[in-house]
Amino acid sequence: MLSPAVLLLVITSVYPFFWLFRYVLYDYNGFVAYFTGTYNIKRAFTDAVFWKSVLHTFEYAIGKLILIIPISLGLAVFISRNLPGSNTFRIIFFLPTVISASVYSLIFTFIFAVFRGPLNTVLEAMNLITRPIDWLGDPKWVMKSIIVVAVWGGLGNYMIYFISGLSSISEEIYESCMIDGANGTQTFFKITLPMLSPILKVILLLAITTAFKDYQSILVLTNGGPDGRSHVMFSYIYNLIFAAFSSPQIGYATVLSVLAALIIGVITAGYLYLARKLDDVF
Amino acid sequence: MKKVLSILLIFLFATSMMFAGGAGESQAPKGKTVVEIWSNDRHDLEYLLAKVSEFNAKSDTIEIKHTTVVENYPNMLVMGFTSGNAPDLFYMNARGTGFDLKTFVDANMLTPYPDSLLDDPEFAKVTDARKNIVEGVNAINGVPYAIFNVRRSGTRMIYNVDLFKKAGITKFPTTLAGLVEAADKVTKVGNGQFYGIATCASAQFERWLEGIINKSGVYHYDFKKGVFNFDGYREGILLAQKFFSNGSMFPGSNTQGVDAMRAQFANGTFGIWGNASQEAGVFTDQFPIEDFEWAVAELPSLDGTVKGTVDSRPQKGLFMFSSSKNKDAAWEVVKYLNSEEVVKGYIEKGYALPLSTYMQKVVDMSGAGRLGDFAPVPYEGLYPSVPAVTVAGDNYAVSIWNAIVNGSDVDRLIADLNKRYNEALERDLKIGKVKRIVIPNFDPLNPNKEKVQFLDK
Repeated sequence: MLSPAVLLLVITSVYPFFWLFRYVLYDYNGFVAYFTGTYNIKRAFTDAVFWKSVLHTFEYAIGKLILIIPISLGLAVFISRNLPGSNTFRIIFFLPTVISASVYSLIFTFIFAVFRGPLNTVLEAMNLITRPIDWLGDPKWVMKSIIVVAVWGGLGNYMIYFISGLSSISEEIYESCMIDGANGTQTFFKITLPMLSPILKVILLLAITTAFKDYQSILVLTNGGPDGRSHVMFSYIYNLIFAAFSSPQIGYATVLSVLAALIIGVITAGYLYLARKLDDVF
Repeated sequence: MKKVLSILLIFLFATSMMFAGGAGESQAPKGKTVVEIWSNDRHDLEYLLAKVSEFNAKSDTIEIKHTTVVENYPNMLVMGFTSGNAPDLFYMNARGTGFDLKTFVDANMLTPYPDSLLDDPEFAKVTDARKNIVEGVNAINGVPYAIFNVRRSGTRMIYNVDLFKKAGITKFPTTLAGLVEAADKVTKVGNGQFYGIATCASAQFERWLEGIINKSGVYHYDFKKGVFNFDGYREGILLAQKFFSNGSMFPGSNTQGVDAMRAQFANGTFGIWGNASQEAGVFTDQFPIEDFEWAVAELPSLDGTVKGTVDSRPQKGLFMFSSSKNKDAAWEVVKYLNSEEVVKGYIEKGYALPLSTYMQKVVDMSGAGRLGDFAPVPYEGLYPSVPAVTVAGDNYAVSIWNAIVNGSDVDRLIADLNKRYNEALERDLKIGKVKRIVIPNFDPLNPNKEKVQFLDK
């Protein structure tokens, strides 16, 4: 029964991986491969830009997760109450999910424009800043700006997951709580959150792996700049293969891809180990 | 309602799939040989399609199919070739972004131009074919794989005359130090309403600053010795750092796209913008400037004199894929698209400047708008391509630009670039990826005059 699926997996995933893996020892530009021995591997361990990009990946992923999970959960709880206008808000919050990351990132480049840009104009009018901020060009601000865009683009998706999780909790349990005199905060922390645990485990797994693999918005917003400050692992690897201004370094990019996959694999395994408890909550 | 929506969605999807292949000509009538051409230029599409239609109407044997592929062009060419769907011919401008001629030639993807075509009287007259063969740009080991028929100018400085007047500047500066001073003056007068100078998110260093350094006789590759040498860039980088330290660089221009910055210039929010002759059309059609006077100046240099060549890129080179099954018909199409009639009309429409001596004489530039402001100057030309080495870390243009923006130590930067680039050169020579390019009597004012030597070590 599983053989078609296994075959597809081998053809589309396993084979390409090993096909590419053979170029680890080559300088390969897509046409011609020049044997370089272990140079690519040695280079990977001394490549300061890559290791900085690893740190940036963690900064980005942690920043995104800290914001996106609570906000999407809060929105899901709010919308699940079926207050007037809930459906409209559900659509509004979900809309960014159906827009291409490249498109909304491009829109944000205009919002973040320094000179008379909409965001700076509003903040200056509210006397919150005295001079325009270079949101995408200032190393202090660039990662925060990128995280805001990522949260805006992704929260609708997680909100829908949470709504589906919330809908599986029986109304009778909430009615019992009300009869027992529990307030909203108690109900949320003692009933809603524990009962969401199984789906929370899946959502967190998806959110973590997605956050560590994100790079499309970054390519549009900053392409890793300024001075590599917003390069994450995959934006750096992408540039090694598809950079417009130099020949592709597919062999070296393969080494980095394997390292990146290992890093994400370790994090995912670590999360699954720590998250075992979430299965036992309910 | 749902059914109606579904039908509408299917219709939209089907329609979008129909257009997904780009703008192309319709299928050929039976009996005609189809020669397919890809181009990544949109601005001249209307003119070229009209000329293609004229050809197709006249020819009983050949039908040209012209397709525009804008996104990811070099990769699309590669994918087309490897999947057996490559066109017969493709347009590429000199040093086209992402296109490495040597890689294409080493992979046997291209067909060289035959002598019979290079020596064809009409073709030679219109293109100056033999004179415009540049190593690494349209030729490898002296064998040409394309011939360009027009050019765009080298980089020029386009400036807002009104802002210059407000700042009390009557003449455009001829030195980089003067440019720094002028930008500072305009910024001070602007008092936060307008600024001195700008760049944009792509090719920041190459956009105009590198041209200023090259005009001063400094290049990043020492052709006489066959090694990379960034020592001469020091003065230019130190001066350019002042654009940021004195606040005369338009805020945020470093991260905005080229069109966003063109729009800002057209709005009068900064005084100086650097780019080549394509801006003639940009500031008359795309972002027409009507509220102030603008002018075009030649690039300054480090000391005000001309000691080197500024890259001026020839355009509209037609390359032929080796996979073409209709080579004879394709060469006929190459001849037609390089005919005097087609090229003359192209130039007179204002799409580009003439390249050959003959075309410079016969074209009437009166209808080409502000393109005349970008007329060729003697020191503009093309350097031979330097060895395309695989460098660890950022390329030199990105590294230099980062140092300019951050104000970091220039001596350290130059030592790092010399080390990284020459290490990469030695390594790539050893594995046979590149050859050392040496021109013993290299003249920076005539970089293509002397014969190129290719050394294995």
